[in-house]
Amino acid sequence: MQVREGEVFGLLGPNGAGKTTLIKILCTLIFPSAGTARVNGYDVLKESKKVRESIGYVTTDERSFYWRLTGRQNLEFFANLHNYYSSRARERVFELLEIVNLENRADDPFLSYSAGMKQRLAIARGLINDPRVLFMDEPTRSLDPKAAQSARDFISSYIVREQEKTIFLSTHNLSEAEQLCNRIAILDEGKIKIAGSPQELKSGLGNGSTLSDVFSSYSGRKLEEEILPKSSFMKERRQRHAGGFGGMRRRGM
Amino acid sequence: MIFKKAFAFIKRSYMLQMSYKLESILRLFFMLFNILTYYFVAKLVGTAGAKYLEPYGGDYFSFVLIGIAFSTYLMVSLRGFSETIRDEQMMGTLEAMLVTPTDTATVITFSSLWSFIFASIRVLLYLLVGILLGVNMTNANLLGALIILILTILSFSSLGILAASFIMIFKRGDPINMMFMSTSELFGGVFFPIEVLPWWLQSISHLFPMTYSLSGMRHALLQGYSLHELLPEISTLVIFSLILLPLSLFIIRFAVKRVKEEGTLVQY
Repeated sequence: MQVREGEVFGLLGPNGAGKTTLIKILCTLIFPSAGTARVNGYDVLKESKKVRESIGYVTTDERSFYWRLTGRQNLEFFANLHNYYSSRARERVFELLEIVNLENRADDPFLSYSAGMKQRLAIARGLINDPRVLFMDEPTRSLDPKAAQSARDFISSYIVREQEKTIFLSTHNLSEAEQLCNRIAILDEGKIKIAGSPQELKSGLGNGSTLSDVFSSYSGRKLEEEILPKSSFMKERRQRHAGGFGGMRRRGM
Repeated sequence: MIFKKAFAFIKRSYMLQMSYKLESILRLFFMLFNILTYYFVAKLVGTAGAKYLEPYGGDYFSFVLIGIAFSTYLMVSLRGFSETIRDEQMMGTLEAMLVTPTDTATVITFSSLWSFIFASIRVLLYLLVGILLGVNMTNANLLGALIILILTILSFSSLGILAASFIMIFKRGDPINMMFMSTSELFGGVFFPIEVLPWWLQSISHLFPMTYSLSGMRHALLQGYSLHELLPEISTLVIFSLILLPLSLFIIRFAVKRVKEEGTLVQY
């Protein structure tokens, strides 16, 4: 499996397919039992530190923050772990808080944040070191449909179009995969069944096929699809102060 | 850069602890009752153990004060590293830290720095209250005490890192912690001089770094021994550190490799 620079690559599969395990291997959190993997040209086993220097990791686990610290304190600590210190760390955190539209709640404890705000802070943390590749493990899993759509809009408009990052994301949400990804790999029981653009995969099965059909065809099982609300990206942007992502201004990162 | 990173961990732990202010205050406050208990035990004991206490200045309260104060470091070392791993696993923050360029050994060791600072505050309070209650440290060799303290922390920390390695792999039931926590007070000379023990138990005492640490600290603080006079304790603690520190770092690296292979890093 290869991911091209600048693309959004989606790993699609049901719970337990191995999506998180693969992401953790690529983030050097788990060692592979066999085979090799390279991220940004670095071997995940032999050059793990260089891998970690060049990636960001966004997890849905809201427990991955210190709940009694503020959003700003959390980000500054993780900036320090990325070797950003003093004013450089403070400036970077200030910038990121603005980008994810949390500047007004930056000094509130993390425990007072809504699920959407927690996820925005997780994305801000993933961007601290201005990584070339961003790994996102089911980035909208714990969000309500509106917040999930807002997060997807932010990912596609800011992280992909403005920042031109390579994104490797896992999801079991077919709409999300179709909306965000240039290419998709269908993963089931730890094996890549097929990879290609959503269009290629669907057209391979004939007219009118959906990604759900593609998944069923290659895995022999159904993948439940989340029902999404009708929500437009521009509408979300206009409502940025209502609690969504915002501040997508170019900062020359 | 290493100091900046260490400071970042200390600042984080300090902020977390200060978010539970009452707990911090209560821990320091109730410590005073511990000291008072031994003050009155010492009054009861009087000069009964003078023969055994002679090499340490002859006063039981001074003897036991140094014992309970500096054994704090052993407790912090043994529990600190493994509890750090466990806490970060339970809070879910361990993975988020390990995906940064900061390596695992740094995350584990630096996460415990605040525990040592808090332990030092406790030790200073112990000594201060002790002085107010009549412990004489006017002749203390502070440089000697500092050297002993650094070597104590190094050798105790090595045991703590070994304990953390077990916790990382087996999750619960770490033999290093259990063994040293249950036996150090008996063999290490916290509450009584090891000379009280029969000779065959004394020989076991010599295998514990705590024995040399407390003996050296008492000689330095209570009797003002010179660096030359402290050499037996200092050299033994250096040997313990030289053996235990590389061994513990090797074993924790092995443990990290093992749990990363098994994918059990965040399990607890």
